[in-house]
Amino acid sequence: MSNYFSNIFEAVSTLFTGLGITWRHMLNIRKDNVTLQYPEERWPRPERDIGFNIDDYNVIRSRLQVDIDDCIGCMKCERACPVQCIKIVTTKSGAKGEDLPDINHTGVTSNGTKKALIVSRFDIDMTECCYCNLCTYPCPEECIYMTGGPNSHKHPIDYEFSQYDRNDLIYKFAKEIDDEKLSKYFPQKEEAKA
Amino acid sequence: MTVDQLINWLPFGTDWPVITFLTAVIICALPVFLFIAVYALVAIYGEVKISSFMADKVGPMGQGVGFHAGKWGLLQPVADALKLILKEDIIPAAADKKLFIMAPFVVFIGAFISFAALPFGQNTIIADMNIGIFYILAVGSLSVIGIILAGWSSNNKWSLYGGMRSAAQIVSYEIPAGLSIISIIMLTETLSMQGINEFQQGTIWGILPNWIIFNNPFSFIAFFIFFISGVAECNRTPFDIPEAESELVAGAFTEYSGMRYAFFFLSEYAEMFVVSGVSATAFLGGWNSPISGFFDSPGWGVFWFMGKTLSLVFVMIWFRWTFPRLRVDQLMSICWKVFLPFSLLNIFGVGIWSLLVG
Repeated sequence: MSNYFSNIFEAVSTLFTGLGITWRHMLNIRKDNVTLQYPEERWPRPERDIGFNIDDYNVIRSRLQVDIDDCIGCMKCERACPVQCIKIVTTKSGAKGEDLPDINHTGVTSNGTKKALIVSRFDIDMTECCYCNLCTYPCPEECIYMTGGPNSHKHPIDYEFSQYDRNDLIYKFAKEIDDEKLSKYFPQKEEAKA
Repeated sequence: MTVDQLINWLPFGTDWPVITFLTAVIICALPVFLFIAVYALVAIYGEVKISSFMADKVGPMGQGVGFHAGKWGLLQPVADALKLILKEDIIPAAADKKLFIMAPFVVFIGAFISFAALPFGQNTIIADMNIGIFYILAVGSLSVIGIILAGWSSNNKWSLYGGMRSAAQIVSYEIPAGLSIISIIMLTETLSMQGINEFQQGTIWGILPNWIIFNNPFSFIAFFIFFISGVAECNRTPFDIPEAESELVAGAFTEYSGMRYAFFFLSEYAEMFVVSGVSATAFLGGWNSPISGFFDSPGWGVFWFMGKTLSLVFVMIWFRWTFPRLRVDQLMSICWKVFLPFSLLNIFGVGIWSLLVG
């Protein structure tokens, strides 16, 4: 009989202990919270220490980035890509090396090369990219590169490029160009059609 | 405003008594239904948030770009409700179709018609019956029929197990709950909910509110027995062996989806409100202010009743995220070996107390 009452006493007292624990955790949620609201909040990145200067470390593999103003549309990167994740469409520019402001086209690259082609499409599908870095070597203007590492002065490192929509992982680097405005520069094309 | 007053007030009362009655009932039932729906959304949000806070998480949050779930995840219950409404309504091929369709509504009716006798305030009660508390206890156990129907008609062994367990549990816990209510009815000498509330007006020794929980030590114990039995009747954790996700998939609700599952959900939350409301009325003074004469008007009565009831709903949520589930035999032994002797003792004690003291 005394066992019966001591059981009840133990049950009641331990139940209140449990309630107290959850109550304290509920009140201290601001302090104890372990959830990271991921895309908006991130853990701080640890300092890189790979044993040598990261500027010399040429094979960092993060995300491909293109400085489209420097691109001459030579398609060497597209041919180099082993998985065909780069899609480039170019059209011949009537005026070599001239700025065409109404389609946001700059005529001369930062290296001084005069552009002969207008790049109207430059898509990189990062869902297909295998991060082999092979496209960056043939580029004569060094305008396609992996972000961060030795290129961090051009673009900060971006290794977590999560998106809410899968289509947003196809990075479109070319400037949007109206077909009408583009055709203005190629009278010879319209003649061929006619 | 009670349904009787409404019937007298309606202009065409004497000519078409049936239409008058139906009109009055619908006028009373619609706000209650809307109240249950809104309250269920609030309770689901509270449950999600409180459970997350107790587990050191933040629960649904809607920060950053895009629509997400609104600020602090406030739209999460709306999204849940929309999802349940839009989901496909699946009826298993081997199910007993009529019973399967009927079951969620029977469960919901059990919780819904209990609201008729809940005293929300001095004048805010749908029907102030002279057998109010007995009526609530009676119709509250209707839901067991629905759960057994659901378990049987699903033609699934998990469902049937869940239904049978639920029946055993609800029928067992009716007894300590009913005996605890008997011990307070011995004090109030009325079964009417408003009568019980009026009994609790005033103070004890000028300090404590004259609530039944403070009336004598036996009714203090009776409150806990009634409330815990109520939690068990709602099939809430730690007494959720009818659902028991880890043992029975989802018990009686295994085969249900979409709108029908939503009705089970809604009736669970409605039942929580009814049990908390009856506990608040019978033991915690109902619409009486905690300090006598402090905001003690009919309007504030609704506030006090809702405050007490929602606090008890919070306690139920608190229980759910603290205690582990009981085993079937533990559940039954608590009911029959602990609650039943204590509630019988309470009846005896309250009787002696009201002879000697009251």
